Amino acid sequence: MWNKPWTFKEGFLIGGGLIVAGLLLELTVGPVVWDAFAWPANGLVLAGFVFMIVAMHLLRRKVYAFRFLTTYQAAIPAMCYAVVLTIVMGLTRQTVNGSWINNMLSFWPFVLIYVFMAVILGLVVLKAPFSIKSASKMVAGLFHLGLFITMTTATLGNADMQRMRMIVAKGEPEWRVMDQQGYVKEMPLAIELQEFIMETYDDGSPRRFASKIEILTQEGKKYQATVDVNKPAEVEGWKIYQYGYDTQAGAQSNISILELVSDPWLPYVYTGIFLMLGGGLLMFVTGMRRKEEQA
Amino acid sequence: MSWDSFIYFSMAAVLLWAIGAYAAWRDNHPLPVFNLSYRWLAYAATLAGLLVFFSFIILFWISLERPPLRTMGETRLWYSFFLPLAGLMVYSRWKYKWILSFSTLLALVFICVNLFKPEIHSKTLMPALQSPWFAPHVIVYMFAYALLGAATLMALFILVKGKSLPDTRTGRGKEFEITDNLVYIGFAFMTFGMLFGALWAKEAWGHYWSWDPKETWAAITWFSYLVYIHYRNIPHHKERLALWMLLIAFVLLQMCWWGINYLPSAIGSSVHTYS
Repeated sequence: MWNKPWTFKEGFLIGGGLIVAGLLLELTVGPVVWDAFAWPANGLVLAGFVFMIVAMHLLRRKVYAFRFLTTYQAAIPAMCYAVVLTIVMGLTRQTVNGSWINNMLSFWPFVLIYVFMAVILGLVVLKAPFSIKSASKMVAGLFHLGLFITMTTATLGNADMQRMRMIVAKGEPEWRVMDQQGYVKEMPLAIELQEFIMETYDDGSPRRFASKIEILTQEGKKYQATVDVNKPAEVEGWKIYQYGYDTQAGAQSNISILELVSDPWLPYVYTGIFLMLGGGLLMFVTGMRRKEEQA
Repeated sequence: MSWDSFIYFSMAAVLLWAIGAYAAWRDNHPLPVFNLSYRWLAYAATLAGLLVFFSFIILFWISLERPPLRTMGETRLWYSFFLPLAGLMVYSRWKYKWILSFSTLLALVFICVNLFKPEIHSKTLMPALQSPWFAPHVIVYMFAYALLGAATLMALFILVKGKSLPDTRTGRGKEFEITDNLVYIGFAFMTFGMLFGALWAKEAWGHYWSWDPKETWAAITWFSYLVYIHYRNIPHHKERLALWMLLIAFVLLQMCWWGINYLPSAIGSSVHTYS
C-alpha cells in the first residue's frame, strides 16, 4: 500500500477518504449552503479553484499525488464513487428540505466526489492540452474540457440563477413576483396580459396554452410577445416562460402564470455543452478505433 | 395508417430480416440465381425489412399528426427499427455472421411486446412535448440504446465463449473491437440525446438540468459507460471485469429507460412520465 506507482487500491482509498471527510463535514458543519455562492463569491471560488488546479499541475513533478490524479487508477475510482452516490440519489426521494441522502445536492460526500472529479478533469485537460494529432485524443480533449466547464459553471452559477413566478391578469400591468422561497419581489419590468389563448383536443386535454403579453421596461420601452410552452420570450436578460393558468376556468382563464428566469452563467454552461457535442460528433465520425499498442 | 396494421408491416419486416439473417450465415456461398452471393441477399433483405418497418413508422406518424415518440410502446417501435439497423452496420463492417440473427430476434421480442401489450396511441400531444427537440432527443436516445444493446450481446457472447476464442487480433481481439466500437458510437449518441435534452429543457422548463429522476439516471448511465471506456484504455486490464462493467451499465440503462416508472422514489416526482 502507498508504494509507487499507486494502483486502483490507492485510488479507491482516496475517494473513500473524501467520503469519510464529507460525512464528518456533514456532521459538524451541516449540509453545503449553495446560496452562499452568489456573485461575487462564486467568481472568486472559480478563480481559486482554477488557480489551485494550475498550481497542482505545475507541481506535478515534485508531488507524486498530483501526478497520480491524472491516471486511470485515480479517475476510474472517482467515477465509480460518483456512479454509486448518484444511484443512491436516484433511489431515494429528493427534497429541498431533506437532509443527508434525501438532499444529495447539498450532501458533502456527494459534493466532494464531484469536486474531486472536476479536479481530475482540470488536471487532465492541462496535462494533455488540446491535441489535433490523433482523433481519439481530440475526442478526449473536447469531452474533458467540455465537462469541466459545464460542471464548474453550472454548479457555481446556480446561486446566481433567479426563477420568479408572476401571475398576470388582463388589463393590469404586474411587476411583483414570487421567488422560489415564496418571498415577494419587484421586477425591473412590468407585464400585462392581453389575451390568454387556450386550445384543446377532442378529449378536453390541452393542445395549446399561451399568453399574449405586453412588456414594459423601466426605461419606458414596450415589447409585444406571445409566450407559448416551449417558446419563451426574452427581454433584457430575462426569459419569460408560460408556466400555468387557472385550470378551473380553463379557456376562460383571466389570468396566466408566467415564470421569469435569469441565468447569467448560461453562456459558459452552453460553451461546455457544445464542446461535448463536438466531442460526441467526432467520436461518432471516427468510430474512435482504439489501438491495442497505444496506452 | 392505424395501429391495427402494425401486425402486417411488422411481420413482413421480421420475415425479411429473418431471410437476411439466414443469408448472413452462408454469406460466402453464391446464390443459385442471378449470379449474386448470399451476402448480397443479407444486405438486400435486411434493408428491405427496414424500409417496410420505417414506412409503417412514417404512415403512423402522419395518421397520429404527431411524432410517434410519446408512449413507451412508441419508443419500442423505434427500438425494433434501430436494432436491425445497428446489426446491419456491424455486419457490413465486420462481416459478423450471427449479428443479424441476434438483432432480428431482439427486434422480434420488442415487436411482440408491442403486439401483445399495445398502448393507447391517441393523437394528443401535451404542449410540453410540442418542440422541434422532441424527435431528435428521443430518436437519438433510442439509437444509442440499440447500439448499447448490441454491445451488451457481444459482451455476453465473449463472456460465455471467451475461453474457446483465440486471444488474437482475429479472434477475441476482433470481438472486443466490435464491442468497443458499438460502445463508442452508442455513447456518442447517448451524449447527443442527453445534451439535446438539456438544451430542450432550458426552452421548456426554464433550466437545462434539474436532477429530475430521469436526468439523474441518465447521468448514472453516462458515467457508467465512461467507466468502461476508460478501463478499456488501460494496458493489461482484466477483460472479464470490463465485460461485467458493460452488463452492469446496461442494467442501469434499463433503470433510466423504463425502470424509473416503477421506482417509488421517482413516481410522482418526475416530469418525464407522459402516459
